[in-house]
Amino acid sequence: MFRIPITPRAGWQQQARDFGFHFHTMYGEPYWDESAYYQFSLKQIENDLEDPSADIHQMCLQVVDEVVKSEELLTKFSIPQAFWQPIADSWFRQDPSLYSRLDFAYDGKSAARLYENNADTPTSLYESGFWQWLWLQGQVNAGLINRRADQFNSLQEKLIQRFAQIAQHYQLNQMHFACCQDTDEDRGTVQYLQDCAAEAGLKTDFVYIEDIGLSEDDYFTDLNDSVINSLFKLYPWEFMQREEFGQHIERASINWLEPMWKSVLSNKALMPMLWKRFPNHPNLLPAWFEDELSKADCSQLVKKPIFSREGANVSVIKNGETVLAADGPYGEEGFIYQAWHALPKFGDNHTLIGSWLVNDQPAGISVREDKSLITQDMSRYLPHVIL
Amino acid sequence: MTSSKRSQGINLSRMRKYFAPRPIAIGVTAIMLSACGDKQEATIYTNADDCADANPGQEAQCKAAFEQALADAERTAPKYKSMSDCEYEFGYDRCHAVNNSSGSFFMPFMAGYMLSNLLNPGPYYSQPMFTSYSRYSPYRNQWITTDGRNYGSLSNRHYRVDKDVFKPKPTVNRTMKRGGFGSSVRAKSSWGSSSRGGWGG
Repeated sequence: MFRIPITPRAGWQQQARDFGFHFHTMYGEPYWDESAYYQFSLKQIENDLEDPSADIHQMCLQVVDEVVKSEELLTKFSIPQAFWQPIADSWFRQDPSLYSRLDFAYDGKSAARLYENNADTPTSLYESGFWQWLWLQGQVNAGLINRRADQFNSLQEKLIQRFAQIAQHYQLNQMHFACCQDTDEDRGTVQYLQDCAAEAGLKTDFVYIEDIGLSEDDYFTDLNDSVINSLFKLYPWEFMQREEFGQHIERASINWLEPMWKSVLSNKALMPMLWKRFPNHPNLLPAWFEDELSKADCSQLVKKPIFSREGANVSVIKNGETVLAADGPYGEEGFIYQAWHALPKFGDNHTLIGSWLVNDQPAGISVREDKSLITQDMSRYLPHVIL
Repeated sequence: MTSSKRSQGINLSRMRKYFAPRPIAIGVTAIMLSACGDKQEATIYTNADDCADANPGQEAQCKAAFEQALADAERTAPKYKSMSDCEYEFGYDRCHAVNNSSGSFFMPFMAGYMLSNLLNPGPYYSQPMFTSYSRYSPYRNQWITTDGRNYGSLSNRHYRVDKDVFKPKPTVNRTMKRGGFGSSVRAKSSWGSSSRGGWGG
């Protein structure tokens, strides 16, 4: 695993405009960074990332199966009681899932260690599935990267296949897609999923989360007053369940993507549960609930809110003292604690690997870099190759 | 390459995005109508006075039909999130903001209404008509209905049409309320400085 500098493709910003990649630069800072790339060996990809991702996903599903049947655990996961039954129903019906991203600390030598499972609303999907794919093609054609180079990235192919399966499962020819207003990144991610769904033969309609309406007979509607029957929402379940329309979710009888059981899979309380069920697994970090902190037998801990995004409200605690903290609005539902495990450094950069799954199939990776040890939303995205 | 670990091919034309802004919804999907309706005379009027001028003694009918068409227009016209998207499709100064129970959006002004059977016994029929003044629109200077039927140049006013074209356009549902989702992200995005406003992970 190397970090290798490279000349950016000529005119890539123009190409980004043509393909609607509007968030490659955010707040004046580069987000998409093609001044360098990461190179992995096939063995590193397959043995250290792909296979462990498939295994960890199965382990996580085992935990979900246990949690949905336990009132005590659902309480620990801070899931509102009104949704216990709908979540269990969605799990036992096996409502199909679309995608998720496991975040790993990996240095190319030792076992990848799981930081968290972004199973409900992961972003950086477009950059991974499409844009870095296009980058490799461009750099190979420019002669700057070996023609034999490959990439661990079958995301787009698998997403299209998965949409076709989901359409078959629910007998759909149309699906609604939603995200919040005023964010190019989320809208870009959702547009990408709409493109994949359209490629699978589905008609797609878009509505902003804030614009979703409630009809007189308790269905959700779009701005055209059409009933929403199936909805991909890039908006977390834990928010929806607590908001005004949350009480209408059940009667609206929607085919949800992600399905409601993902509120368990995406919950950070999953981390201490994994450690309990699979102690000393090489890809896991020790983790504890707040009320078992006395058992935490390591001097440095990371404290994470049960619900949070992009590293917000994460803090590092050494011998009981906070040594590093990221601000944020999260944390009211409680925290979990994870053994400290630093991100590897390549030059001045701390590098985080995102490992994608489409349903339960590993489908590629993304590489993000940050100057800080806590990967936040201003980290940069770098492409990768297998050689 | 024998067994590639990346997508084999990507449909690049699907991914290309440099295109004109699209409306949130282009009218309302038409009900599938049978093609065997009787043809009848229909005329497009730009407003109630225009109608009354052509049909002396029918002022009240003209006005009532016009009001009906206006109400249908608000219900079924294409709706846009921004004034600029709407004006892109319909032309400068051809759109207006609407606030009703379904939310806030922008839609084109009704350009006229099509009337049929005004002078005969039995019910008369009306429907709103739109046109575009935008050079970006395929509907420029054409009469169009909200279900996308094109009745040709603005200079045409008289048609023989199927009765079916006056069938009410469906509003699928009545939305009682909007804005019941999204409050958490509003609360949280007002927080902090580095947040990009979204909340995806």
